[in-house]
Amino acid sequence: MHYIVRQLGFYLTAFLIAISFNFMLPRLMPGDPLDALFSATQGRMDETQMAAIREMYGFMDGSIIEQYLAYLYSIISLDLGPSVLMFPVSVTQVIGQALPWTIFLALGSLIVALIIGISIGTYASYHRSGFFGQVVPPVLAFISNFPYVVTALILFYIFGVQLDILPISYTYDPDLTPGFHWDFILSVIKHAILPMGSMILVGVATWVFNMRNAMINVLGEDYITMAEAKGLSSTRVMTRYAGRNAILPVATAIAMAIGFSFAGSILTEVVFNYQGLGNVLLKGIVARDYPLIQAILLILVVAVLTANFIADLVYVWLDPRISK
Amino acid sequence: MKQIPIHGDALVSPDKPKANLIYKNLGSKLKAFWSFFEGNPPALIGGFLLTLIMTMAVLAPVLASHDPDRRVARSHVEPSAKHFLGSTRSGRDVYSQLLFGAQKTLSVALAAGAIAVFIAIGVGVTAGYMGGRVDSYLNFLTNVFLVFPQLPLLIVLAAFLGQVSSLVITLLLGLTSWPWVARVIRSQTLSLRHKEFVISAEVMGESRWRIILVEILPNLVSIVFGGFLGTTIYAMGAEAGLGILGLGDSTEVSWGSMLYWAQTSSSLFTGAWWEMLAPAMALALTGGALALINMSIDQMSNPKLKTGKHMKLWKKLKREADQRRGLV
Repeated sequence: MHYIVRQLGFYLTAFLIAISFNFMLPRLMPGDPLDALFSATQGRMDETQMAAIREMYGFMDGSIIEQYLAYLYSIISLDLGPSVLMFPVSVTQVIGQALPWTIFLALGSLIVALIIGISIGTYASYHRSGFFGQVVPPVLAFISNFPYVVTALILFYIFGVQLDILPISYTYDPDLTPGFHWDFILSVIKHAILPMGSMILVGVATWVFNMRNAMINVLGEDYITMAEAKGLSSTRVMTRYAGRNAILPVATAIAMAIGFSFAGSILTEVVFNYQGLGNVLLKGIVARDYPLIQAILLILVVAVLTANFIADLVYVWLDPRISK
Repeated sequence: MKQIPIHGDALVSPDKPKANLIYKNLGSKLKAFWSFFEGNPPALIGGFLLTLIMTMAVLAPVLASHDPDRRVARSHVEPSAKHFLGSTRSGRDVYSQLLFGAQKTLSVALAAGAIAVFIAIGVGVTAGYMGGRVDSYLNFLTNVFLVFPQLPLLIVLAAFLGQVSSLVITLLLGLTSWPWVARVIRSQTLSLRHKEFVISAEVMGESRWRIILVEILPNLVSIVFGGFLGTTIYAMGAEAGLGILGLGDSTEVSWGSMLYWAQTSSSLFTGAWWEMLAPAMALALTGGALALINMSIDQMSNPKLKTGKHMKLWKKLKREADQRRGLV
């Protein structure tokens, strides 16, 4: 329990730092992000209108501390002002529509990559003097270190343009109405294959290598020799005896991978025009919609911190020793 | 007083010419260098690819067939003898851009890797060696940086700064990507700190600086180098990512900006695959090559991870031993 409370405290502090950073950012940068907005209207706005908009975005008068408290309040009440890009729609609404897709892409690909990677890592380390163990890890190391965008672009070109067998745009067929019916689910899966596939391809090697390193340490233990001497089948020794104990150190790496997965999702979405946060972020950058950009950064931080906390809870469940 | 020879050099008889000794040293150095690659196909392939790419980057002014910044052909000319990799929509020679882009991209990635590793050594070694309150502060800082999604952070920073030059990208990448290396260095320093040779150095009254620089750092070399390669791969990917988002300086020729122009001209849809795939493949091969070398360094610092030839040797010895014992 003590451990969980401490971790929770850490994440809350980290969140507060992120908020403060977000608060400082537009105030430290040269020029005023709202000037860009005002210059676009070319003086058709009078002073009071400009002041009203300023206040709407949280650039109010008063000391820096008052401003900070007002900013904190606006975040807690989820009132982040309207988006410049899609004007009357609020930032919260824009993000609310895109966030589920990003979470789906980031966590979905992470989980699939974990399962595939751990399986390959277990097999490759147990049979490491065989062909599989010698060839697959270096090949994976090679492929998995292509930059995110490059893997996405290559899959995009091969399956989306040349073979033209998978959709390369949108999260689902725009003709369909979203709902819990078969056509829609199938369409979502079909549209997710390429973006998710490219992220899995990048992510899988991390787990293969983490698992392999952990396995090789475990395989030197006496109880493995004992299990083999007892005449247990090699599959049983590999999975039940070695694999199960090797997973624990691998689990610690999950927390770190979550951030990478979200970052990868942002880039992959741009390549595949997937309607998640990455796509909104890109549009926001082009339109210089700073309130939206900042809100996306903040929501990503929240998503990553929450996912990290869940990973901690899972870790405590896997290894009860650390909570003491 | 009798001189006690400490180093091997002192045992060499004085009548031998000194040059011979240097040759011998060089020979053994080369041998050690070669032993890293010997019987290790991944390291060989990685080393070969990387040497090739580096050479092409360095010799770009010689090897390039055209000026990368000038319009030298019609729009989207197919690859031919005159333009090895075709031309972009704006009529630039892709092959020449690729060579000069390699210079920019590699220097950004390597410099960012170097900055990150320097910070990581500073933070990691200090935290691991000093321990106590310093450690808990630095560890907190590292963890905070570690849980923040770095690429989105970079994207937002770059967006606020407008289109940023490669120098700014280098600095941003270097300043944000150190924490995971720092973490590994810290834990390794922690375990080294309680080894006998460090304790004996402390007892002998060596200064902190000497202990850190002479006793601890040399034992971190493989981790530091692995971290450097890892960060370089990450920085290269991030530069490409920022490039394709249009956040880099699109007037500079780099692999990232090449991707950006290929993306905005939707070259993949118009059949001009070369404009997009040339920089993409270059990035892929460089990343892959660095990863193979990184993997081999891991194997060097942890011989348990080795496969292949060394396993064969072990098996051969085992077979011979079994034969002697009459088991086979």
